[in-house]
Amino acid sequence: MSPRLKISSYVIERLSKIDTNESTGCLFGLMYDGTLLVVGLSLELFENDKNTYNQLLLNLPAEVELCGAIKFDDTLTMGSKLKEILHDVDITDNPLVITLNDNRDMKVHFLVHEKFEETKYEVMESNDLWKEFLHVRLNTTLPITCEATIAGVKSILQTKRKRIASGQVSFNVDGTSVYLFGVASDVGLTGTSTELTIGELVDSLNPGQSSKKKKQLVNTVEAVPVSLVMKTTKDILSEKLVKTAVKMMTTQRKPAFCISMPLKIDTLAMINRNTKLLDLYTVLVEASCRSLRLLESVLLEQLGQEGIGDGAGLRLPETFHYLPPEIGHFITRIVPKGIPDESMENERRALHKQLALPLKKPTFRRGNSYFDKSCGRLMNPHEYVPVQLSKPDVTVSIVRGRYAYYHYMQDNFNDDGWGCAYRSMQTIFSWFRYQGYTVVDVPTHREIQQCLVKIGDKPSSFIGSKQWIGSTEVMFCLETLLGVQSRILFANTGSELQSYAPELVHHFQTHGSPIMIGGGVLAHTILGVEYNSITNETRYLILDPHYTGAEDISVVVNKGWCGWKNSDFWNKSAHYNLCLPQTKASI
Amino acid sequence: MVRTVFSPEYCLQYLEQYASKEIFVVGLILGQTTNEKENVIYLARTPEEKNADTVSESSYVSDKTDIAKNLLSVSEAWVADHAKHVTRMLPGGMFVQGIFVTSDEDIFEDPNQFSKVKEILHYIHKVLNVNQYMYGNCPYTNERLVLHMSTSTKVLNCKSVEVGAPNRSTVIKPVEWKFVPKIQQWQRLDCYYEFDEVYPVIVKKSGISVKHQFQQILESAHKTIESSVMFIDGELKDGNEAIEQIIKKKKTKTNSKNTQQDIPKTMQVSLFVPFENTLPETVEYLECDGSIHFSGVVSSSVFMCPKATISEAIVAVKQDIIRSLASRFTMHCDALIDDNLLPEEKVCFNEPPRRVLVPVGSIYLCDYLFPGESPAEALLSVRELLDLQITEADVICDVETPADTSEFDALDRDASSEELLATPQEASQFMYITGICFAMLVLIVSIIIHYYDTIMDVLRKLLSRKYY
Repeated sequence: MSPRLKISSYVIERLSKIDTNESTGCLFGLMYDGTLLVVGLSLELFENDKNTYNQLLLNLPAEVELCGAIKFDDTLTMGSKLKEILHDVDITDNPLVITLNDNRDMKVHFLVHEKFEETKYEVMESNDLWKEFLHVRLNTTLPITCEATIAGVKSILQTKRKRIASGQVSFNVDGTSVYLFGVASDVGLTGTSTELTIGELVDSLNPGQSSKKKKQLVNTVEAVPVSLVMKTTKDILSEKLVKTAVKMMTTQRKPAFCISMPLKIDTLAMINRNTKLLDLYTVLVEASCRSLRLLESVLLEQLGQEGIGDGAGLRLPETFHYLPPEIGHFITRIVPKGIPDESMENERRALHKQLALPLKKPTFRRGNSYFDKSCGRLMNPHEYVPVQLSKPDVTVSIVRGRYAYYHYMQDNFNDDGWGCAYRSMQTIFSWFRYQGYTVVDVPTHREIQQCLVKIGDKPSSFIGSKQWIGSTEVMFCLETLLGVQSRILFANTGSELQSYAPELVHHFQTHGSPIMIGGGVLAHTILGVEYNSITNETRYLILDPHYTGAEDISVVVNKGWCGWKNSDFWNKSAHYNLCLPQTKASI
Repeated sequence: MVRTVFSPEYCLQYLEQYASKEIFVVGLILGQTTNEKENVIYLARTPEEKNADTVSESSYVSDKTDIAKNLLSVSEAWVADHAKHVTRMLPGGMFVQGIFVTSDEDIFEDPNQFSKVKEILHYIHKVLNVNQYMYGNCPYTNERLVLHMSTSTKVLNCKSVEVGAPNRSTVIKPVEWKFVPKIQQWQRLDCYYEFDEVYPVIVKKSGISVKHQFQQILESAHKTIESSVMFIDGELKDGNEAIEQIIKKKKTKTNSKNTQQDIPKTMQVSLFVPFENTLPETVEYLECDGSIHFSGVVSSSVFMCPKATISEAIVAVKQDIIRSLASRFTMHCDALIDDNLLPEEKVCFNEPPRRVLVPVGSIYLCDYLFPGESPAEALLSVRELLDLQITEADVICDVETPADTSEFDALDRDASSEELLATPQEASQFMYITGICFAMLVLIVSIIIHYYDTIMDVLRKLLSRKYY
């Protein structure tokens, strides 16, 4: 029998926009509660006669598996490529085939006994997806030592995978006494009831959260941290118990180069909230093995390269998790430590193509990684501001991606009364970091001043002073420190500002970066505009750097430090300068 | 509150047996200290010293007329050596808690006698501190017991003496020694700790010191085991809970029909090791020409007083594994003819002695058998070191098994591959040499064990002429 079918709205949205010359694509999904949920897709490029989807699978969270194929035409014939993909589907006996013709008419079929059967499906909206599913993040470090050869690395990692899959490991939910462990061929659980679901466990970890607050937090995806422990004792009852006393064997070989390193496993699994904790064991084993395979491929690729063939220049692999907003599921990448993002553009380009992502903006650079949180600062406070109902003739255009809220008095630094433009600049800078455009640290007030002195804009006495800066200084700094060009707009009065509304809409649509605005004695950050093309009525989404309180999102939102302002927010008689940071198309 | 020590009644009979014959005897008190209760498990007389002047091993050939007749003529090094050997036989959580003396003088009143007592205790403390991985000195208290039975009056007196104080300002306290007619219950905890590690080494320049390798293995095992999480019967228990509470809970849960089951069932222990996150974040890179494979199990059985807490049991299990490893390594290295694995040797196999269990009262202590040794060897050390007669059938020999030949077969296979430099001839030569080495090893070890045995005198003389 075919399972019930749900397709994530992200997949529907991506399919409706897809523009490709490829004939075939792959579908990725997970099974839960008798339902197949399609969460992702890729284009099959068949590069170098290698099936790229098998490799891509390693980049997806555990539990997400190949579940079917996409045909970019509406005929129901089986090509060899399609056959190959469908042959690899293990998650269900009835692989899914979506056909999409040039008019973007989508039809969904299950392949039952070599026959296509058109099927109905439900769309799972993004809110429901994030509510019903959560992520478990497993972190551990495996020390490995092996010969610095491809065979050596392969063999040691295979040994590690075998050990993990053999039931010798146990998993601990961080900060709890909940342990999951393998007993012979069975699975055990201690520290809580065996009937508990993963969702119930998570709720019990954050008991103070009201349901209202939870609703607000829908935009942030939290992962349940889990660590791995290795069982070093044998089961006495096991039939296979070998009781040979400890011994040491020393073998001499030809001299060879060896490498030894701490291999960091950092891996995700996507799980339905109603999954029993007991069932998590096998999921985590699979997640570990997936991560080890991905680590292996990164190490082997390095060993195969010229110059580090003998392992001397081998770099430690580093794991990054990405949640591109248009994709709606995590993509995990592992890259060699210390290799600059710029020199890995080809790999990223291939990944963009495979995922049918536009080549306009960075998505998989280090800075884009999802869990790299800013130290204690609020992220994207505007997402907690109540959403306006959309009205006809009104265009709303807001900042794209993530930024951190910089404001007065942070980092134990008293800049009350003079540092607002500096803080606005830092917010903008953080945006460029989180969008992956740069890995440069957000500059301090002093570093901003040093930069301005260095380029000759300010005398050296400026360093350490409490002098204000304006839009042009922000522009200079962005250009010097980041190579980012900015547009400067002047408005003689607050009311003149309104005439720029269409331009601001355009800015957020094309560049999406926060805008710094200075006027009178105040600097603000503009995060979005709402423009009525009939009445010319304009509202601005403002982030106010003059906030001196604690990092408390409810205060920030409720007291209006972040929120929508009418055009009378601006001083009618003051001059205004706007700095609009521009982005360049890159990946 | 006066420190109270609980002792089984057979210890009284043991003391009286010597006191009634008016023999001077010195020996060790073995026991377990927990927060709730202090139990003595056994008293073990220190074997008679053959020559009071020297304790070096070669001197045992000299005539044995010189038996120490009083406390002052006892060599503290000799008693300390006894303590060292007995510690190897103790499971984790059990320690040499002090000494006992039967004599006609009052050792607490006579300043000469008492200062000798202190000397002995300090010496034991010093010797047991040499190897931290042996856990020779009880970590919970620095106050060692001194139990005295007068051979004339049969009066018992017990005091504690502080050891290890930097300025030797010894604190002396009275101790209440209680004989309990009822047999002490012990909770047994079992596990098999498994090792299976391969790591590269550099052989070519100076060879490899076996002792050094074992020391490194010991250090890393210690670190790993200390960091591990322990489950009892598959569950994580509250460390503050007493073992007897767990037993009670189990009984109420499962044993409604048969409540008379007093024999303590074994608890199964499992250890889980978190991977260290403290490693330097770099790729280390070095040229190696050899590898070491350390593998096999350490079987561990510890016995806890049911009033002890889970935390105390955990500490005892961890101590037991490390102490057992350290014991085997020391014994192995002491018996080695040459510590260095030379660059010429392509493969080398080091098989330390394995653990066997010997019954003492209601619990088990342990002994170690070298490859090829029979359980009868354990009887000898039990008789010598614990002053206890047991039969060969009492020795439990199958908690661990000696290495089988499959390892060597594997070597043969390896040897034919190009990777290995050793040719098949060399390999077989190696087998031959190893065979001889093992035989010699066994010989030497049995000699060491037979030290005091007069029957061996002639043979020993013969051998000592050969070797020294």
